[in-house]
Order: sequence, then C-alpha cells, then structure tokens
Amino acid sequence: MDLFFGQLQNGVVLGALYALIALGYTMVYGIIQLINFAHGEIFMVGAFGALSVFTWGSLQGTTTWVALPLMLVGAVIASVTTALLAERFAYRPLRNAPRLAPLITAIGLSIVLQELVRTSLPIPGGQQIFDGATRAQPFPQLIGGESIDLGVTSISRINLTIIVVALVCMVALIQFVNRSRTGRAMQATAQDPDTARLMGINVNRIIVTAFLLGAALAAVAGLMHGLRYGNVDNRIGFIAGLKAFTAAVLGGIGNIGGAVLGGFFLGLVETMATTYMPGDFGGGAWKDAWAFVVLVLVLVLRPQGLLGEKVADRA
Amino acid sequence: MTPEMTRVERLDDMIAARVGGRGWLVAVLGAALVAISALLPWTYTDAYPENLTVYFYPAGPQLYVLALSVVALVLLVGERVDVLGRLVRLAVPHGTGGTVRALALGSFLISVGVVLRMIVLLGGSVNVDPGGYLAVVGALLLMIGSRVLPSDDPLPLRAKLPAAVEIAIVGVSMLVMLVLVVRGLALDEQESFSAFAVFAGFLVFAAARAGLIGWVSQLSSRHYGVTVAAAFVVAALFPFTQGGANRYLNVMANVLIFAIVAIGLNIVIGLAGLLDLGYIAFLGVGAYTGALLSGSQFSTVDWVPPFPVVLALGALAAALFGVIIGIPSIRTRGDYLAIVTLGFGEIFRITVNNLGGTGSGPDITNGPNGIPDIPALEFFGWNLGEDLNIFGFELGFFANYYFIELVLLAFVVLVFVRANNSRIGRAWVAIREDETAAAAMGINTFRLKVSAFVLGASLAGLAGVIKAHLSTSVEPTQFQFLESAFLVAAIVLGGMGTVTGVLLGATILRLLPEKLRFIDEYRLLIFGAALILVMRFRPEGLVPSARRAREFHEEEITERLAREQVAGSPVTGSRGGQP
Repeated sequence: MDLFFGQLQNGVVLGALYALIALGYTMVYGIIQLINFAHGEIFMVGAFGALSVFTWGSLQGTTTWVALPLMLVGAVIASVTTALLAERFAYRPLRNAPRLAPLITAIGLSIVLQELVRTSLPIPGGQQIFDGATRAQPFPQLIGGESIDLGVTSISRINLTIIVVALVCMVALIQFVNRSRTGRAMQATAQDPDTARLMGINVNRIIVTAFLLGAALAAVAGLMHGLRYGNVDNRIGFIAGLKAFTAAVLGGIGNIGGAVLGGFFLGLVETMATTYMPGDFGGGAWKDAWAFVVLVLVLVLRPQGLLGEKVADRA
Repeated sequence: MTPEMTRVERLDDMIAARVGGRGWLVAVLGAALVAISALLPWTYTDAYPENLTVYFYPAGPQLYVLALSVVALVLLVGERVDVLGRLVRLAVPHGTGGTVRALALGSFLISVGVVLRMIVLLGGSVNVDPGGYLAVVGALLLMIGSRVLPSDDPLPLRAKLPAAVEIAIVGVSMLVMLVLVVRGLALDEQESFSAFAVFAGFLVFAAARAGLIGWVSQLSSRHYGVTVAAAFVVAALFPFTQGGANRYLNVMANVLIFAIVAIGLNIVIGLAGLLDLGYIAFLGVGAYTGALLSGSQFSTVDWVPPFPVVLALGALAAALFGVIIGIPSIRTRGDYLAIVTLGFGEIFRITVNNLGGTGSGPDITNGPNGIPDIPALEFFGWNLGEDLNIFGFELGFFANYYFIELVLLAFVVLVFVRANNSRIGRAWVAIREDETAAAAMGINTFRLKVSAFVLGASLAGLAGVIKAHLSTSVEPTQFQFLESAFLVAAIVLGGMGTVTGVLLGATILRLLPEKLRFIDEYRLLIFGAALILVMRFRPEGLVPSARRAREFHEEEITERLAREQVAGSPVTGSRGGQP
C-alpha cells in the first residue's frame, strides 16, 4: 500500500507539472489554433532562468524565503521574454499562412531554444554549459526537511509545495479568465476573433496575453521541476512539452479545465504504468513509450478530448 | 488594406531621392572600383588563405569579386551601347536591373566578409591594405547605384533553337554545376570555401534574375528524358573527380541516402499533403531489416539471404509498418497527424532501444549498442567493399555505394514522377488541396492516403537496407526525431512537391555542415534559425512548384494586381526587386 500511495503522490505531482504546461498550449490553441510546439522549450527556459538567478546571484547559503521568490521572478522573466519574442517575430508574421508554416516554424524555434541554452548560456566560471559528456546541470534543493504525516501515508514537503502552487495557479487563472475584463475578452476572441475585433477588443493584445500567461505558468512549472528532480538539461522541454500537449488534447484542446484534468490523468497513468505494467514492459525504459501510446490513442480515438466539443475540420 | 511600404522600399526611395538619375553612373563607378581593387593587394601578409598580397594577380575572393564586377560592368556599359545593347538584351532576357543588383550584393558580401575576417583573424585593421577597403567601397557604390536601375522587365522566351543545340546547352549548364561543386569541395580552408560558396550562390542567383535559369529549365522540360539522363550521367562522373580520395565520396554517399529518403517523404508531404514527422522510423525499419539479415555477428538472426531478397524484405517490412502506422494516423488531419506520426516515430526509437535483452524486453535489436560490424554488400558476385577499377580510376567502398545509390535514386525519382503524373497523383494533390471536396468528387481519400503512406514507407525501407551497409552499423540514435525534422526541412527548404528542389535541399542540408566545420557547435542552432527564416521569407522553398508559390503569396499577388489596376499599367519605375 505504501508503494501505491507513493506512486499516487508522484503521479499527482507529475500531473500538476503537466497541467501547468498544458494550460499554455490550450490557451494559445484556443485563440489562434496554433500548436505552439516550442512551448515545452519555454518551460525549459524558465527552469534555466531560475537556475541562472541562483548561480549568478550567489544565492547559495541564503534562506529559501529569499532565494525562491527571486528564482521565481527569474524564471518568469526568462520564459515570458522568450515567448513574447517568439510570438512577435516568428508566429505573428505567419498568422494567415497555410497551417504547415507555423508548425515548421515552431519546430525550428524549439531547436533554436534548445541549442541556444546548450551553446550560449553563460554560467559562472566562464566555461560553456554543456562541456563534456554530462548534460544535466544540478539544481539547488531548497525545499527539504521532514515529510509530513497524513495518517495513511506521508507526503514530502516539495511534493506538497508543488501541488499547492499548481492548484493556486490554476484557480487564479480560471478566476482571471472568467472574471476579469481581459479574461472575458480572451473568451470572446477564442469564440470569434472577427466579431471580437468589431466589439472593440484589441485581438493582438489578447493573443500576446495568452502567450504571456502560458509562459508564466510554464516558468512556474520549470522552477518546480528543477526543485523536485534535482537537475535540469536543455532537452527536458521536448518530452515534457509533448506530454503536456497530450494532456491538453486529452482534456479537449482549448478547454482550460480540460487541460488541468488531462494533466493529472496523464501523470497518473504514466506513473502507474511504470510501476504496475507486467513483465519487461514496465519500468523507466518504457515510460516515455507509454506516454506516446496514450498520445496516439487520444489523438486517433478521441481528438476532441474528454471535455472538448466535437470539432469538425482540423485540416 | 493600405499598401504599406516595406523597409527596403523606403530605403530605395531615399536612395532615389539622393542619387536621382545618376544611378547608372554610380553603379559603373562602383563596378570599376571593385574590378581595380581586385588587382591590388588586400593585405600584406600571406597568413590569410590564398595569398591576397600580390599586385595584378588576383586570387580566391579577389578573383570572385573581379568576375562579378566585370560581368556587372559589361552589362551596364553594354546596355547603353547601340549594337551591344541588343546582344546584352539577348543574353539577359529579364533585363539588367535585377541581375546587376544580385551581382552587387554578391561582391559586397564577399568583400565585406573577407575584410572583417582579416581584421579578426590577423588581429586588427592594420592588416588590411587599401585594396580591401577599395573593394568594400566600390561594392557599396555598386549596390547603391544598382538599387535605382530600372527593374526587371521580362522578355517572353519563345526562341527555338535546333534540338541538338538546346540539349547541348542543358548538358553544359549541368557540367558547370558539377565543376562548381567539385571546385567548392576542393577548397579546404573555411575562408576560401565560404567566399566561394557566396560567389557560386550569387552567380546562380544572378543567372536566375537574368532569366537564364528559367530559360534553361524551359529547355530541359522540353527535352525532359534527355535532361534527366544527362543529370544522372553528370552525377555519375563525380567519383572520377575525386582522384581516389574517399572523404567527399563518403559525404556524398550519405547525401544520396538522405536525398532518396527525402524524395520518398516528398510523396507523403509534397503530393498527398500529409505532414509526417516520424518518417525516419521507416528508414529505421529498413536499416534494421538489412542489419539483421546481413550476417553481422551481433545480429540475432542467422539467415543471410542474397541482397535482392534483403532489399525486397526491407521494403516489405517498411511497407507493413506504413500500413500499421498509417491506418490509425490518417484518421486524424493536419497538425494532429503530424503529432501522431511524431509519436509513432518516437515509439519506434524507444522500442528498438529497449529490445536488447537487458530487462526491458527480449533481445532482438541488441538495444542501445545497435548492430555494428555489418559486412559490405555482395551483389551478383561483386563485393562492394572491394576496389573497382574503371578506365584506370580506382573506385573504393564509398564510390561503389555511391553508384548503387544513384541507381536507387533514379528509381525513386522515376516512381515519384510517374506517381505525380498518374491518376493517383492527381487524386493526392486533390486531397492535399481540399480533402472534403476531393471526397465529394468520389475520391476514396482513406485508401489513397494509406497508399501514399505505404509507398513513401517502402521507398524509405529500400534506402534503409543500403544505409545499414553503408554506415556498417545501425543504432537507435540514428533515428531520433531530429532526423525526421531534417528530412522535412530538406523538403520545405527545397520546395514541396518538386524533385529538383528536394535534391537541392537535401544536398545543402547535408553537404554544407560537412564543409563548414567551424560552425559545428552551432550547426543545429543555425539549422533551426534557417527553418524559421525560410518559413518567414520564402515559405514556398528555393525551387517551388508554381502552384505552391502562388498559394503562399496569395495576398501579395492580389495586392499587386490591385495596385496594377489602380495604376492602369504594370508597375515599373524606380523600385527594385522582383515584381
């Protein structure tokens, strides 16, 4: 039973991270029907933004209460800047192009961001970041300490933090989208951009807002990922991005609540499959394969997702 | 829509205001200065490659700017002289404006690049002699002057020459291409090669602006069969230019594999419009089939059938995978199809990586180590590993594979062209353009999309078998997502749905990184940036099919037509650039 509760915890934490990233996919897709393939890289850039603040700011030795907010700010600035630059210079010029064009641009962007971090991100000491064979950079473990006893099981502090932070972010986002003026403008634009424009909504600003919010959430996920798993490398974004995209589709792309649901679902499926898959096909080696199997099954069998509406022509 | 001026147009207007009608004079002066500078030393030390220190003895980049500027000078002056004018008009059917602009930009880039590189390489601007600066100034004047020359004014090309002459022209232009490629490959210094690459690139660009490329391609489409045959003959000449050296034969053998797979993928993407991001998996299926049946000591299969059987089995296995992956995939459309195929591609890679008998599955593929030590192909008693002697030329391992691949490439091109011109091909294009409409016209879209998938897959399977033997080992890392992205990039860069474009794209993507070793660390970075830039500025690719080009520039074309209607006549005048 301990194993089960442990994996349940891991699954929920993983799912929370997927959900945070998936929200970015879903918001952008809902408004301009673009699969922002590079969104996983925005998450990765966020993790490195946080790490850079820590290493360059010499935060080693300061208390968690000082280091963590500063790292969060660094992550958000890095992610949001990257996302806004990408939107302005790579995606916006292609807004009326055939659908193939932005997808290929996104692949290019994804490669550029991975390689920029690999080749050009400075770290103290002057050498290049991925010298030699080791790719992973150690990430400071700021949230440690005793696990908290919950009766049937116990939960580690970092896992609890991630779950709480993710829930707060999600609730805040949903409130923002449903209650604020900008949020309602986002909904209107998603429904019908032309009419929204006629109603006096600045559609360009709304699109930028969607990118910005998605990037900020991905930055939070990046920071949490580093804190939870202890190291980051320039390729964490690719797989995480694809899985988050799966989560977004699973919940019905364009649907904010669906992305959250899909994220948790996928995280749980992945962790449970790793533990309980019979024979040789369980274990870490097949973990990603199972995620891709879920991806393919969802896209083929239920492209509208669990909560999404039937979408006619996605060509 | 208000016709806003682009930055280039605003710059042109500014130049026109300053230079006015003196553009021609400025351009001539600039071209003359560049030509003179090529005869002067650009630096005093011979530490810079290709010795640019001697008076009246141009070398390397000096020779290139000399050639470009003299051509520009002849065109500019010739145009104004009575008899010559008509000759120039014949030689440059699209008018001199665009041609000179291309030549000017080429010489500017070369001279500025060389001077900057000298400053960096030799340590400071003291190392640059006046000749170098003169070249930069001259090229700048030539550029400024050429901006205000009248823009292109295409002359209709109806002239018909005797068939033999036309064929000869096509053949000669192909030989020129071969000479350019061989000459470029022979340059080892990165400075020399970069200067030459810019020179060759802008020479071709200028020829395109002049209308010569269009003319030659018109001639070649008039004699299509002969042209294709000539192209393969010229390509088959390549191993004989290498004097027994293996370095570039190895590279070219890999370029050919890449090109074969890219053309196979072009059936799926370019014709049927199905964006497949996991196509490399089919190459992998073929390669693993070839490796398992090769008799390598690491293979888990003991059976070693003769090569034609392996080839057939590789194609069959890949086709089977095509069916398995294709049937579920093509229930989705557009972006979703791309992601589903990406998922399948990754599942393939993870699977072959895990089936190594070490706790994550049975031992079939030898896991992450792959299958090394694959012996050379035996082909009707001919061992491809042994040297071949033709007319006194020693042809080794890579040359042998190069020839085999050339035959396979010819086959794949034939399949592509025949499919493109068939009923099936037209149905694919119809599906690509509008699936719903195609279905309404009675096309069985499901069956046709699967057939495109399977045909593309089996071609990749054929290439995979040969690739396994060429690289003598097969590993899971050879089939990661990035390779699929490279294939898609070759198609996008070259031009979707055209053979020439894809061959060009594949060659550029595989050959340039080999030559530009200095960018090795930044190879992928540049590749990604190039993808973004191509999508931004030339989404139809380098050699687009006419329909694609119109599709991507629909807005601009409507705008131009509207402007022409307002003006009452086609836009001519001071503005540069093509219409």
